[in-house]
Amino acid sequence: MYLYGLFLAMCSVFFYLDVVEYGSLQFENMFYSASTILTFIVPILTMRMFAEERKLGTEQLLYTSPTRTSSIVMGKFLASLFVVLITEIFTLLYLAILYFFGTPHIQTILVTLLGFLMLSMAYISFGMFASSITENQIIAGVITIGFFIITWFLPNFSPILEPLSLINMFDKFPSGLIALEEIVTYITFTIFFVLLTMIVLQRKKSMK
Amino acid sequence: MIEVKNVTKKYGNFIAVNNISFNIEKGEIVGLLGPNGAGKSTTMNIITGFIEQTEGEIVVGGYNILKNPKKAKKQIGYMPEGVPLYNELTVKEFINYMADLKQVAKKEKKEKIQKVIEQTHLQNVQNKLIKNLSRGYKQRVSMAGALVGDPEILILDEPTVGLDPKQITEIRNLIKELGKTHTIIISSHILSEISQICNKVIIINSGKIIAQDTPKKLEEKVKKQNQLSVTIEDKETKVEEITKQIQGIQEMKLVKDNEDGTKEYIITADENQDIRKEIFEKYAKSGITIFELKKNEATLEDAFINLIGEKQEEEEKN
Repeated sequence: MYLYGLFLAMCSVFFYLDVVEYGSLQFENMFYSASTILTFIVPILTMRMFAEERKLGTEQLLYTSPTRTSSIVMGKFLASLFVVLITEIFTLLYLAILYFFGTPHIQTILVTLLGFLMLSMAYISFGMFASSITENQIIAGVITIGFFIITWFLPNFSPILEPLSLINMFDKFPSGLIALEEIVTYITFTIFFVLLTMIVLQRKKSMK
Repeated sequence: MIEVKNVTKKYGNFIAVNNISFNIEKGEIVGLLGPNGAGKSTTMNIITGFIEQTEGEIVVGGYNILKNPKKAKKQIGYMPEGVPLYNELTVKEFINYMADLKQVAKKEKKEKIQKVIEQTHLQNVQNKLIKNLSRGYKQRVSMAGALVGDPEILILDEPTVGLDPKQITEIRNLIKELGKTHTIIISSHILSEISQICNKVIIINSGKIIAQDTPKKLEEKVKKQNQLSVTIEDKETKVEEITKQIQGIQEMKLVKDNEDGTKEYIITADENQDIRKEIFEKYAKSGITIFELKKNEATLEDAFINLIGEKQEEEEKN
């Protein structure tokens, strides 16, 4: 719950700094900053996912139930995505404010929101994977944030690494362009880490 | 109902469970008995499909736990060691969550949740957060989680650990009651518990099964020896001499020299011979005062200690 609050409080600051301050109607501009915050919020959201279950032993309840591991992983993934989706819906309040002053470009905004969801999806999948490999939620969180920051700065080392930067890929969406290449990358990245999480959990069964 | 065939679990070079096999019939209450670290929890974790065995096969109600996990697991209600629970949920929320995990049909869910709450007597705390409950209640919540969805088999790992005597009695009665309608496996290192509840005992030590039988038969196995324990006051120290005159005496051993001048002996006699009467009469004639005279009944405790001891001796010889 406090994550919602934190995220929305930050968003209202960005809404003021990135939109209101410029006297602009471009709601999408605040999402550049929001994506930065997402980089730090997602790890907090995902770090407990499997690490805490393992530490408390509640994973025994999960894996001895008739529910498949893949369903459990998908359930947790979708639940986190749903949390992000709800915060996104909350940000529409700001959009409503803008309607008092003029007509924002709704298509651009929808594309931005789609991009934001794609980025969240990719972030969550990695965070979930990090949580599945350890029983210490702090370690899971640090791995996740560390990985996000590394991919963030990768393009600084070489332009070839540009496509690996999750957050930079997002920057295309607020221009109103449905960036197909980026969407495919996000989806591929997500599927990869969701599957990897399932494999890790399955493997741990025979290692335990 | 449950078939365990030649199951082995290795962690690197360490063998946690070593080639164990047993069968559990429908309706049996089976006790898994052994000292700490014997492999009880590992065995239970393998049966419930939480961990995979290195070798061997587990069949639960006709379904292989690895090849057909969904159908096999559906028949099992598991209460893991240390009662892991979600502290931030209320009792009812937790049971509801367990019902979802066990894929209880939506229509029956409400009714089934209510049923297990009643069975485990949790009505008064059903809307309380689990973290605010006492250990005894938490144990019952965990039990309710295992029970929901009407599994035929209940696997309870040390269900009475950490409870006070009153709570232990409550949980035991609950298990006995459930035993009428379920097949149950419980693990424990407390013998009295197992002998009270179970109709079959499997004794494990260092990953191996060293005995499996009914509690009664296990006791009989140890009872072969005919032993008496006698406490006497013997001022002239002639008791040993006198005792030797009785027919059928094999051994007499001093076990305790009490401060008040009495001495405690253990006398072993030939089987099927009651020497109590003779001892009483002979001692009385010789001026030896008997303070206490009793026949040593073998308990499951003795069976346990004897069996574990025997195995260790064997291993040392090898």
